Amino acid sequence: MKRNLCELEEIATRLRLRVLEMVAATGQGYVQQGLGAADIFTALYFAEARHRPEDPSWPDRDRVFLTTAHNTAIFYAALAECGYFDIKKLETYVQDGSTLEINSSERMGPFVEATCGSLGQGLSVAVGTSAAVRRQGRLTRCYVIMGDGEMQEGQVWEALMSAAAWGLDNLCVILDFNEMQCEGHMDRVMTLRPVCEKLEGFGFATHDIDGNDLGVLLNTFDAARETRGRPTFIKARTLVGKGVKALEGLMAHQLMFPPELAEKAMAEIRGTVA
Amino acid sequence: MTDHDLEEFEAADFINRTHKPVPRSYGDALVAAAHEDPRIVCLTADLATPTETDIFRDTFPERYHNVGIAEANMIGLAGGMARTGEIPFVHTFCAFATRRCFDQITMQAAYPNLPVKIIGFLPGVATLLGVSHQAIEDVAMMRTVPNMLVLDPSGPEYHASAVDMARAHDGPVYLRLKRPETPPEHGIIPKSLTAGKGIVAHDGQDITIVAAGLSVGHALVAVGELAREGIAAGVIDMPFIKPIDADLICNAAGRTGALVTAENHSVIGGLGSAVAEILADAGIGLPFRRVGLADRYAEGGSTAYLFRKYHLDSTAIAAACRDVVARKKG
Repeated sequence: MKRNLCELEEIATRLRLRVLEMVAATGQGYVQQGLGAADIFTALYFAEARHRPEDPSWPDRDRVFLTTAHNTAIFYAALAECGYFDIKKLETYVQDGSTLEINSSERMGPFVEATCGSLGQGLSVAVGTSAAVRRQGRLTRCYVIMGDGEMQEGQVWEALMSAAAWGLDNLCVILDFNEMQCEGHMDRVMTLRPVCEKLEGFGFATHDIDGNDLGVLLNTFDAARETRGRPTFIKARTLVGKGVKALEGLMAHQLMFPPELAEKAMAEIRGTVA
Repeated sequence: MTDHDLEEFEAADFINRTHKPVPRSYGDALVAAAHEDPRIVCLTADLATPTETDIFRDTFPERYHNVGIAEANMIGLAGGMARTGEIPFVHTFCAFATRRCFDQITMQAAYPNLPVKIIGFLPGVATLLGVSHQAIEDVAMMRTVPNMLVLDPSGPEYHASAVDMARAHDGPVYLRLKRPETPPEHGIIPKSLTAGKGIVAHDGQDITIVAAGLSVGHALVAVGELAREGIAAGVIDMPFIKPIDADLICNAAGRTGALVTAENHSVIGGLGSAVAEILADAGIGLPFRRVGLADRYAEGGSTAYLFRKYHLDSTAIAAACRDVVARKKG
């Protein structure tokens, strides 16, 4: 699945455009979060993770757990782009009766590795999976895309402790460090700083990177794969709204996305594609 | 911990175990099941000996995980393992296995309908450890969870069969167990459960007592008391709280025309409520009472003391039966 950086940049841009289109259709959905995390999803789904969209239950597949299950516009856009389902289906996003719910549910299919809308639980499932596949001698790696605000949940630290204690080097936690939660900037709610130092102390190999730099993301995944005896934690600093000037850094968790803003945003992204 | 400390710890653990006189029916049964089925893995939240899983730990160390004092994480870990083809049996006390991680059970075991087997010990008020460790609402909570099988066997003779029932259910299970406090006089002679079926423990035509768990023994003692007064009470041991044996309940209600439930649990939401729902749905009206903890908290104490004080024992069951039989006649 390795592609060159130019191709990956194009994919990331395409995914950003899809996020805007999906959220613009109803004004519902998480738009700035999707734009911010687009590079993480691109790097994982189109370069790093071993998976087979034509055989989604492939037992040896790498697992990608999205614990911030509300960040679905970008998640579904990436899945559709991979070929897990028809791109047309994205038009049903957040529509009554659609499996493309605003919080992802495994009723969509096995590519939703766990139902994680209740924050703080997904990492435990990933740790359990990592331990089980290791015992079974599989080469499977587990990737977890987590939210920074989510780390305020106590269960996360229970899971981190067990992952490090068990030396799960097949586990790679990617913290989508966008510094935004429901009530605004994370530091104003309950700061997580210094997160890498905390995780070092827990026994993780840590990386503090620009989560909007595809080249850096890929290099960091390489380092994680080569790390032995301990799990990896990547603090991926992302910019909410990345790619759309009017949305960059806009700290509004649930943005009612006005149609005129959506139009301008889509024009801006399309401009970068051309 | 140094190697020396570790050796001392292991020695102390060994002494504890060798001085424990009660048979470990559950622990042995789980190991036997694990010999048959390599998918079975065992998790505990730092309670190996009290949950009898030290036997598993020593027999299958590579399939055993002490996750530390972290029950919410334990349920999630089990969810991940179950998604990967394993059958995790998770162990702690009933209170922590349910109250503390209800959301995790719902989202990571029940909604995905995974074979996560939740094994709780210290059911109801039966512990010195007090309110923090007394599970008086666990059955009510677990009963509301879709896909969940809820089992409350009456004694250690059913533990091995309960393990088989838990394995056989293709989904999540809550198994509520009470270890014997003293070694049973004649040892444990294993008895079998039948999936979804209650057990007629005693026949009687005047009234039926539907009981579960520790309350079954008290119900049988109450039968003796009532017999001396000329009341013939029957007892149904109802190990399957969900799905419950509705046919057996309705038949007993029709035959005896009076019914009392008895449980080591709050009167709200547990066995008594389940039986009342069945009767109401079937349109059966009859004199009926629920014996259980009366919507209040207890405190730490011996099981006998607490059962007496909180009106859960044979005396309380017999009193409820007299009342119900009088209402039937009246």
